[in-house]
Amino acid sequence: MVTRANGDVELQELVKAYGPVRAVDNINLHIPAGEFFSLLGSSGCGKTTTLRMIAGFEKPTHGKILLDGVDMTETPPHKRHVNTVFQSYALFPHLHVFDNVAFGLRRAKVEESEVKRRVAEALELVQLTGFEKRKPVQMSGGQQQRVALARALVLKPAVLLLDEPLGALDAKLRKQLQIELKTLQEQVGITFIYVTHDQEEALTMSDRIAVMSHGKVEQVAPPQQMYEEPATVFVADFLGVSNLMPAEARGDDGRGRCRVKLDSFDLLAGRGNSSASGATKVTIRPERVRLEAHGSTGENRIPAMVERWVYLGNSVQLIVRLATGQVIQVLIQNSGDEIPFVQGTPVQAYFPAEALRVLIDTDAGAPPAKEPTAKGAAA
Amino acid sequence: MTAIAVGPGPAQRSALARARAWIANPWGRARFLVIISWAYAISSILPVIIAIQFSFNSGRSVSAWQGFSLTRWYWGDPTNSVWHDPTLQSALFQSLKLAGLDMAIATPLGVMLALGLARWRGYGSGASNFLMLFPLVTPEIVMGVSLYLVFLYLFTFIHPSTAAQVLGHVTFSLSYVVVIIRGRLFSIGRQYEEAAADLGATPWETLRLVLLPLLMPAIFSSLMIVFAISIDDFVISQWLSCGGACDTIPIRIYSATRGAPLPSVNALAAIMVYFTLAALVSAYFLFRYLTRGERPAAGHGGATSMVGDMGAF
Repeated sequence: MVTRANGDVELQELVKAYGPVRAVDNINLHIPAGEFFSLLGSSGCGKTTTLRMIAGFEKPTHGKILLDGVDMTETPPHKRHVNTVFQSYALFPHLHVFDNVAFGLRRAKVEESEVKRRVAEALELVQLTGFEKRKPVQMSGGQQQRVALARALVLKPAVLLLDEPLGALDAKLRKQLQIELKTLQEQVGITFIYVTHDQEEALTMSDRIAVMSHGKVEQVAPPQQMYEEPATVFVADFLGVSNLMPAEARGDDGRGRCRVKLDSFDLLAGRGNSSASGATKVTIRPERVRLEAHGSTGENRIPAMVERWVYLGNSVQLIVRLATGQVIQVLIQNSGDEIPFVQGTPVQAYFPAEALRVLIDTDAGAPPAKEPTAKGAAA
Repeated sequence: MTAIAVGPGPAQRSALARARAWIANPWGRARFLVIISWAYAISSILPVIIAIQFSFNSGRSVSAWQGFSLTRWYWGDPTNSVWHDPTLQSALFQSLKLAGLDMAIATPLGVMLALGLARWRGYGSGASNFLMLFPLVTPEIVMGVSLYLVFLYLFTFIHPSTAAQVLGHVTFSLSYVVVIIRGRLFSIGRQYEEAAADLGATPWETLRLVLLPLLMPAIFSSLMIVFAISIDDFVISQWLSCGGACDTIPIRIYSATRGAPLPSVNALAAIMVYFTLAALVSAYFLFRYLTRGERPAAGHGGATSMVGDMGAF
């Protein structure tokens, strides 16, 4: 038996079915110890169900959950060495903060002096020293969330499960707590499994993200890779603005780039499977699109018209209509220079080949891309 | 300058229209609702007040006011007052005994039943749920006669007696307790149980340390309601009664009105009212004291009603 580090979680062929509906459909994940791992997806994608199965509140229909190599699928929740921070905090309303945080320790029959010491330590960690005698109803949302965190962390679990803990807080507090949570995780060093539907939150905090849709995992990758190299249309669209455009792929151009035909324009996509062919989608991030004066020449240039100019403070967002009829978003950082493209200006949209990505469209059932052939062979 | 058409000014509307506007005022207090509520409250309480008033009657009539006498029918009259009439006293004690036993037995059983039903996810749960509600919808006379027949032919080791009456009361009180507790359980939700289990509490510890404290308001409500329906019960108590010794206050009042009722009967009923009021008021203040930590600081939250506070609904 391979001995793993403390807090290693593995999900094997995990399925949760409610009658004919599969809320979680064959998930295989390995989360090494000490990682901040996020499950990201929209409502109903199965991320919360997965988390609840790891915690033990739901029984999987099929599959195994392993903690540090030990199968704990059959273990009841009060015997698992994992703790949860709930979306609604679930602080016991009839107990004050000290008793709430001490609850788990007392169940484990820890000696009372030790309980006092560890509770004080946990409250200091979440910056709530002095709140011991308060009742949950007398505290703000952010404070309640921190008590919930302290209550879970004081037990020094191998894995901490967080179910959208920042959902009920206002934007500014949320941003502050995101940084605090990340710092805390690095400080304490335990595995965090974090469920959220907010992609910015996932990108900010995680070491790796798993994007889920309809019970399946679409892609697992570190944030940068997830954003820069989305594997599927769903992932590209979910994270940030994707500027998806339907195109026809025509295989490799001999130099590792895929030839795509967007309406009547021939473009070269430097990312994604270069030998793809058939109906696909291409995507480019709004900050990578370059707008040039009307009439400029070169590869990957399409004439367009600026339709709308939106001022975002730190950047300017331009809604641009291409000659193909597609509408895309372009983001230009506010560097202090004048941006010459006002509403109604005709421009040339340049998609640098190294930023243009051809994608597999899992929803459209596009024919699978061919295996990459040897370099130099014509498609 | 165009003339703007206006409706008739205030003084010009008819008296009827003004009265309607005053009652059905949509922007201010709902006077119509207030009027209806007060009319209902007064019409319900007025008979009770009159009955209590006559318990202080100085003469022997229950319908003609003959002057005020504070203690005649309570303990003054040497043969007929509540203090001196053994039949009235035994009725009082019997009612209280039944109510006390009913509270003590039906409430814990009902709580356990409600918890079991709420967590039962297998076969038979639907049927049990349905069966449990039966006593609520069955007419009392049907319940009373059925119980009598059951004790007569089936469980013949139980004769009409206090024990039989207790069994009858508990049977139909259970449904009320279950309905109240289940409502409260539903509004609590599963989150606290899951949190407790997550922190390492065994199911028994979860019940003892988390669920029961949170259910306290509903348990209080159940106790009060079981007390009230037990005191009030006539049909079942009468069918399962063993005669004089098992008579409850409603039975005693009923038999007295058949003959020549004295105001001592009013006094007996009035004592029940005082008892019930005292129990309710003390329970309410006790409850507010126990849950003082759960209410937001003064200024937050709107008005709460007593019944709403009790967590029954």
